[in-house]
Amino acid sequence: MTDRVWGILVDSFPKILLPGLRMTIPLTVIAFALAMVIATVVALIQFAHVKVLTPLARFYIWVIRGTPLLVQLFVVFYGLPNLGVYLDAFPAAVLVFSINEGAYCAETMRGALESVSVGQIEAGYCVGMSYTQIMWRIVLPQALRTAFPPLSNSLISMVKDTSLAANITVMEMFMATQRIVARTYEPLALYLEVALIYLLFSTAMTALQRWGEKKLTVGGALHA
Amino acid sequence: MLDIRHLKKTYENTPVLKDISLHVNKGDVTAVIGPSGSGKTTLLRCVNFLTPADSGELTFGGRTYDLSRMSKKDIAAIRMNTGFVFQSFNLFANKTALQNVTEGLIIARHMPKDEANSIATQALERVGLKDRASHYPSQLSGGQQQRVAIARAVATNPQIIYFDEPTSALDPELIGEVLAVMKDLASSGMTMLVVTHEMRFARDVSSRVIFMEDGNIVEENDSRAFFEAPRQERTRRFLRTIDRSAI
Ligand SMILES: Nc1ncnc2c1ncn2[C@@H]1O[C@H](COP(=O)(O)OP(=O)(O)OP(=O)(O)O)[C@@H](O)[C@H]1O
Ligand SMILES: [Mg+2]
Repeated sequence: MTDRVWGILVDSFPKILLPGLRMTIPLTVIAFALAMVIATVVALIQFAHVKVLTPLARFYIWVIRGTPLLVQLFVVFYGLPNLGVYLDAFPAAVLVFSINEGAYCAETMRGALESVSVGQIEAGYCVGMSYTQIMWRIVLPQALRTAFPPLSNSLISMVKDTSLAANITVMEMFMATQRIVARTYEPLALYLEVALIYLLFSTAMTALQRWGEKKLTVGGALHA
Repeated sequence: MLDIRHLKKTYENTPVLKDISLHVNKGDVTAVIGPSGSGKTTLLRCVNFLTPADSGELTFGGRTYDLSRMSKKDIAAIRMNTGFVFQSFNLFANKTALQNVTEGLIIARHMPKDEANSIATQALERVGLKDRASHYPSQLSGGQQQRVAIARAVATNPQIIYFDEPTSALDPELIGEVLAVMKDLASSGMTMLVVTHEMRFARDVSSRVIFMEDGNIVEENDSRAFFEAPRQERTRRFLRTIDRSAI
């Protein structure tokens, strides 16, 4: 590697990392938190077979999982202005990523809710608990534990998927890298550099996942 | 104390309970026996509304209810005064033994935590598991789990406890410890309605026996009379088919 390339890499490292810390991570964290709320609500609606809302939940999952994320980003950011709805790039990205991720995580959550034995729900009724109390104290905690590994997986995927937000002008890591490439004409080194930073982020999250799983494990067992 | 009249239940055109009437007095330990599929589990589930009955009447706690038109409020009120022990224990997997017992006290009955903990500790002590209070269900044997489940039911101070084959899911060597706890409970005057295949329990512990077949009660009798001088020919045939050594 020439000194020139090495110099560019060292020089660009903070210029890529900083948008990572200021855009990629907040976008991921905010959108994923919202996605979890959406997922839990949508999963609970289906689990409880709530009238009217259950088919709506299925419809939402069907549409979102059946269309590309990139197209969804374009519809919201470039399409909605036709209806007079103008969103800044960052809020548009948060909106699309949370709605998109929510649909996938809702399915994970639904499966996890269904994995809690019906007998525990019946036992809850028999000691006098209400449906809400049973869901909140018995079923949801166990479902979250069961769903934790697949949800962590989704989160790690999402960190990487946020690079798609570059397409709607969000100045995140990938876009920052593209700009530097345009100036320096060192695509191989720089794209490898940004890949490495994504890898660092993912590795950190995997470590967090391990820690979280350990925390959530009670009585030395997975409570599926 | 508990009176069921003309209870009927049909699953998809198959009548499972055909006009069941039975009466339980305070302090009775009633064993419900009968061949597989005769409707024993369904009977218990209908009485505690885990499965809705089609029709019938229930008198409990001085009130009479129409089983075909139960309000959520009435169901909740009745469940506050009954306990249920399941064949498969059904302990809350995310709660310790102690928390399994306190849950119904603190959450459902809004009891202060200290009081609930002390009642739960007593209940666990009664089933011989005080030293397992902080264990999770996955750390307990089947027999221990079932004893926690019994403590969970007892702690809410119910007027009656329903048992659905409480020992059927257990390894033979663990059955005794659960039966011992139930026997102790019976001798303390607890009213119990127990679906069981344990003929020894039915004969030695229970005061009454109900023999069900095909959605009907074939014979209801004092337990001694049931085993020594059954009234129905069908009962005599049933008793001949079960292993004599089991009695
Ligand atoms: N959820 C259900 N849907 C349809 N049929 C059912 C259902 N539950 C039970 N049954 C039927 O009702 C009948 C009575 O079942 P139940 O479980 O009450 O019998 P049981 O006397 O408890 O039998 P066992 O001794 O095997 O536990 C059986 O024929 C069973 O197949
Ligand atoms: Mg049964």
